[in-house]
Amino acid sequence: MLRISLRLQRVGLIAMTAFGVFYGLIQAAAYTRAAGASAAERLLFAHQMEQLGPSLSYLLPLPVHVETLSGYLQWRVFGALPLIFGFWSLLSAAGAGRGNEDQGLVELWLSAGLARWRYVAARFGSFVLVALAATTATALAIYLGSLPGGSGVNPLGIAEATLALLAVTVACYGLALVAAQVAPTRASAAGAAGVLLGLLFLLNSSSRAVAAMRPLVIASPFHYYDLSTPLQPGGSFDLLSTLGLFGAGVAFTILAGLLMGRRDIGSPLLAVRPRSGRVESLPSTNPLLRLPILAPLYGMRYALLAWSVGCALEAVFMASIGHSMVTLVQGGGAFAGYLRVAGHGDPYAAITGFFWYGTLEILLAVFAITQVARWTADDNEGRLELILSAPISRARVVAERAATLLLAGAIIVGVSCLGFYAAAHSNGVNVRWGDIVVTWLVLVPLVMAFAAIGAPLASRLPRSTVIFLTTVAFGSYLVDEVAPLLRLPDWALKISVFSFAGHPLASGVYWTGLWILVSISVAGFGLGAILMQRREVGA
Amino acid sequence: MGARSGEAAISARGLSKDYGQGRGLFGLDLEVVEGEILGFLGPNGAGKTTTIRLLMGLVHPTAGSATVFGLDCQEHAVDVKRMVGYVPGELPQLGGLRGGEIVAYLGGLRGGVDAGHVKQLATRLDLDLGLRFREYSRGTKQKLAVLLGFMNRPRLLILDEPTGGLDPLNQQEFYRMCLEARDGGATVFLSSHILSEVEHISDRVGIIRSGRLVKTARLQDLHEIRIHEIEIEFSGEPPLAAIGAAEGVDHVTVSGRRVRLTLHGSFAPLMRAISSSEVVDLSSHQPSLEEVFLTYYREA
Repeated sequence: MLRISLRLQRVGLIAMTAFGVFYGLIQAAAYTRAAGASAAERLLFAHQMEQLGPSLSYLLPLPVHVETLSGYLQWRVFGALPLIFGFWSLLSAAGAGRGNEDQGLVELWLSAGLARWRYVAARFGSFVLVALAATTATALAIYLGSLPGGSGVNPLGIAEATLALLAVTVACYGLALVAAQVAPTRASAAGAAGVLLGLLFLLNSSSRAVAAMRPLVIASPFHYYDLSTPLQPGGSFDLLSTLGLFGAGVAFTILAGLLMGRRDIGSPLLAVRPRSGRVESLPSTNPLLRLPILAPLYGMRYALLAWSVGCALEAVFMASIGHSMVTLVQGGGAFAGYLRVAGHGDPYAAITGFFWYGTLEILLAVFAITQVARWTADDNEGRLELILSAPISRARVVAERAATLLLAGAIIVGVSCLGFYAAAHSNGVNVRWGDIVVTWLVLVPLVMAFAAIGAPLASRLPRSTVIFLTTVAFGSYLVDEVAPLLRLPDWALKISVFSFAGHPLASGVYWTGLWILVSISVAGFGLGAILMQRREVGA
Repeated sequence: MGARSGEAAISARGLSKDYGQGRGLFGLDLEVVEGEILGFLGPNGAGKTTTIRLLMGLVHPTAGSATVFGLDCQEHAVDVKRMVGYVPGELPQLGGLRGGEIVAYLGGLRGGVDAGHVKQLATRLDLDLGLRFREYSRGTKQKLAVLLGFMNRPRLLILDEPTGGLDPLNQQEFYRMCLEARDGGATVFLSSHILSEVEHISDRVGIIRSGRLVKTARLQDLHEIRIHEIEIEFSGEPPLAAIGAAEGVDHVTVSGRRVRLTLHGSFAPLMRAISSSEVVDLSSHQPSLEEVFLTYYREA
């Protein structure tokens, strides 16, 4: 079983190793270019980062001693990686906890004589092994990337930080495995685990700025991860916390095994009993099911609700911490010039909107990827064949996918915009209604463009589409990250899909980019329709 | 009831789909007359589902063409599917949707569905449309698939191994539904590897092997070409030379005055061969359609 489990995780292993290596190598190698070579330049850099740090505290720990490469790596690299590896762990656990069960594989393995506890143990063990491989490769890349800087990063420090990263990843996996036991499907398992881990992450990150949250952080695994700062000058490795995280991972996995033992295979732990009594023999009278676009939208109603609520919460969170972030940044003076001109002269609106917008862009890219994954699953699992057995054209299938996504994207972005607008005003940030509408109009094409990149592939190579699209999203994110650090030319930054959406709240609409997004959307779905016409279905 | 001599419901000319390595469908020439039930027999991997996917316009032929009621299956796929009810071998995962929602959704794609007819079908199949798809057993999912195929009273039913998972009572109900559909003027293209069900309801049978149609015949004709296992006891010395030379005789074994043989086709040549000898006893065992079917494959 361990060998099968390892095989099932090879895509995740390859993707995370590639991401970790690239991210670690680039960040470490870029330090000298970003911070400068002389001590004075690095002190200035550290001063700027310390001013900027509080505004990024919802994602990263506060920067300490970033005038050294070690301090920078602790903050910028090992501060960000738990979020990425945590996301991987929840996807992997959802697959192990529900996905393979939905495919009937778990039933097959159990019927072959495998005990449930051994199944859970094998999945956990295999994940620990692949996570160990991915984190080790990432650590090596960070070390190699740091060599040209000549600042002498302690390899033991990197090893300790990597061990802490592995521990928090394992703890997240165990938690997500527990969440998967109460969910009826893979998607809902990923959603439940995502909400749980997201809340625990926000609990920890918000405590950096909001003192009232600090007593609660003991519930978050990310807090125990933050206690280890082996690379930071003057920092230390908290062995007890790290062991505690490993222990929590094992304990959650044992709990998941016990819960799995109590539930029926194919059903969640808290299954709603089928209603008894009258047998229904009439078709549903729900009018939404009979209407194009609205029928698939109805099918994804729970996911739509979860995404809308999630993005609205993100907007409210960003808006609520925005005011204090800008005040902190303004106090330092380094960004005062920029803040004076940004956002129509209102730095609060500009900066608060900037951070909300940047995070929402990433969330929307993930949403678009999940929708493309849904299309490919429709194909791989035979639903497309069933739909095409009805008298509808293949072009209509693609057009309906696009229209449904447009509507879903508009709803999610709209709810997020409303949440941001309301929360910003209640926190004293005067965001203009017109700017919110413009933001909504820009972000919907971004969702469409991401999915449009996947549409032709979903029609042609459904099995490779999600991997490719995830690479595009990660690549765009990395370009956004490293281009300023490496002081790459403007055209390099334009490689990122996110760059086309501009920053309407901070610097107005980037019209060229907007038209590019619209063009990508039209071309992508158009090509998707042509390729769908030519392809084989179910073969 | 026999087939009507109407227009061709399905017509395939040199229809081919080459997946490489000898897999696929090769040069299918087939005509299904409107109002008949054609049983399309073949083992797993013979090309039955490929044929159906070509007829449904889901895959593209590498050669040849097929029409349904005169419309090309590729160029007029949407119009073709307006006339077709399709029952796949197994429904895909449809998760949390209730049976009634699936019927409404797929009915909506067809421009609406007669709720009264759906109710009648659900009652006949003892199918609860109020449950979620994930709560259905395999057999119940197949009942839903059958209902979805029949719910629009199509002119042509294309059924891909439709009785897998159905219990015997529901299989009988399904056969009755097929016969009623045919009596109502519909055509049924029934792919199966279950010979008894084809024998039950088909007017004609097509046998496919390794992607090639090896035989089409009326069910009655197929019975006529059955292989007979024959045992003859003679009063004197058996006329072995004459028997061995008779047309259609094979596998002759002798035990004293008793001769066992296999006979393909007509009895006439054998009767002529033994006419000069006195026969004490003659018994003929008529193989089932299954044995005929297996013979076709054994001979391949």
